[in-house]
Amino acid sequence: MGAVTDDEVIRKRLLIDGDGAGDDRRINLLLKSFTKWCHSPGSPEEGFSQYQRMLGTLAQCEFSMGKTLMVYDMNLREMENYEKIYSNIEQNITSAHDKIAECKKEIQRAKRIRKNRQEYDALAKIIQQHPDRHETLKQLEALDKELQHLSHIKENVDAKLELRKKQFHVLLTTIQELQQTLENDEKSDNDDQSQESPAQNGE
Amino acid sequence: MGPVELLHMSVFSQSFSPCGRFLAAGNNYGEIALFSLAAALSPDATAANQKPVLTFTAHEGPVFSLLSTDSVLLSAGNGEVSAWNWTELIKKNVKPLWTKRPNYKSSLEIPEINSMAINPRDDSLAIGAGDNNVHILDLEHGAFKATLQGHTDYVHCVCIREREAELLSGSEDGAVRMWDCRTGQSVHCIEVHKYESCARPQHGKWISCLTTDSDWMLCGGGPSLSLWHLRSLSPTSVFPLSGCQRRAAFHQDMILAVGDGAFVSHCLLGGEVKGQIPCTPPSLNTLQLNTKSSEHRVLTVGGGSSKIDVFTNLSYRAFSLSF
Repeated sequence: MGAVTDDEVIRKRLLIDGDGAGDDRRINLLLKSFTKWCHSPGSPEEGFSQYQRMLGTLAQCEFSMGKTLMVYDMNLREMENYEKIYSNIEQNITSAHDKIAECKKEIQRAKRIRKNRQEYDALAKIIQQHPDRHETLKQLEALDKELQHLSHIKENVDAKLELRKKQFHVLLTTIQELQQTLENDEKSDNDDQSQESPAQNGE
Repeated sequence: MGPVELLHMSVFSQSFSPCGRFLAAGNNYGEIALFSLAAALSPDATAANQKPVLTFTAHEGPVFSLLSTDSVLLSAGNGEVSAWNWTELIKKNVKPLWTKRPNYKSSLEIPEINSMAINPRDDSLAIGAGDNNVHILDLEHGAFKATLQGHTDYVHCVCIREREAELLSGSEDGAVRMWDCRTGQSVHCIEVHKYESCARPQHGKWISCLTTDSDWMLCGGGPSLSLWHLRSLSPTSVFPLSGCQRRAAFHQDMILAVGDGAFVSHCLLGGEVKGQIPCTPPSLNTLQLNTKSSEHRVLTVGGGSSKIDVFTNLSYRAFSLSF
């Protein structure tokens, strides 16, 4: 147990040695000069000056202790600061991860929308090639009217044709009847004549 | 697999496992290779992780189409469809669950199966075959339900329009036909090469790439890659890509297309080409996005080489897996 603490003590001393060599020596010198001053037989001025010197050394030791305490405080505060920055960065990382996932979803949606838009454009291109519906309807109406007009004319012409046909038919039948009658008359005339002549011959 | 065979290898099809951690790729020698995406994408991946964990010969002919359901990998080659259980494949057990051959009328040659699509509503598999028909296989009962006839030349690609329960098929005869899944009748027939804005007579009239997201359809091949509005059956945008496109996909607000040319084209729905990302194979046959997994969300493309490029970020090629 004593060896362990000794080791630790030695290790700690060696570690702090870089800075504390001056302090440690100073404390030892102070102790030595104090004991020497206590036991010194010298004159009061010498004693006084030694006393002043010792006070100076003591002040130096206190000063260096104060400095070390402040450095320790500063280190603690720096550690806190770093901890804060570290947690801040971790938060940023997680929020960036979330944003990336969001953006990926956005990209999928945007791609779908873009695909829909392109399909729409493609269809629109084809639809544009076909003529406008109103124009076609108007053309159809005009054609309908023309058709009606023309069929009307056709009906009229047909009726006229029928009428003329009937009139001609009447005329022709009359002519034929007249011809028949004339022929009949001629024949009966001839018959009469031929009846008369044998009657004359017979006499 | 000697160096000459590797040089002549083409990757025709890819499919991700249902868990999203494995990629199966089929090549022109009839082999299927299984790559572990989890190992290849991990931060301490080595060159050995870019090689397949399992390679086996699945068919005698090239494997033109691979498709994954919740537990099964379906592969099409040499005119037949085989099913492999994913968990068994991951354990390196290569025994197929079943192998079926659609009823082909002609017995002279074996028509190849160019494309397959699954209709989740009635659990049926649509098979686009080289005998000009689309065969429908009921996955639950394992019997062929129907044959959709109407195309006059072989069928290159099929896809399902989920909302309206329709099947779209594109074929060598230049027509995209829409079939009603329940009645099996052809509802519409679009002859893409007859539309002046899309037609490219110097390339032909065949349709090799077809994909839909119920309202819109992308189709291309001989004619330019074009975006169609299905309700009005009219082409809305034509993409100015020079080669013939073999696969296209809708991804978020973009269209990814691969075909002739050693790049993946990114296009916008309006018709402009946003960019072309270069890749290793000189021409690309297949494009797949791993949408089933959240941590291995990659795009893989394969084509006329034994390397499959993997894109972790769509803007550049990350690394290549090789057979």
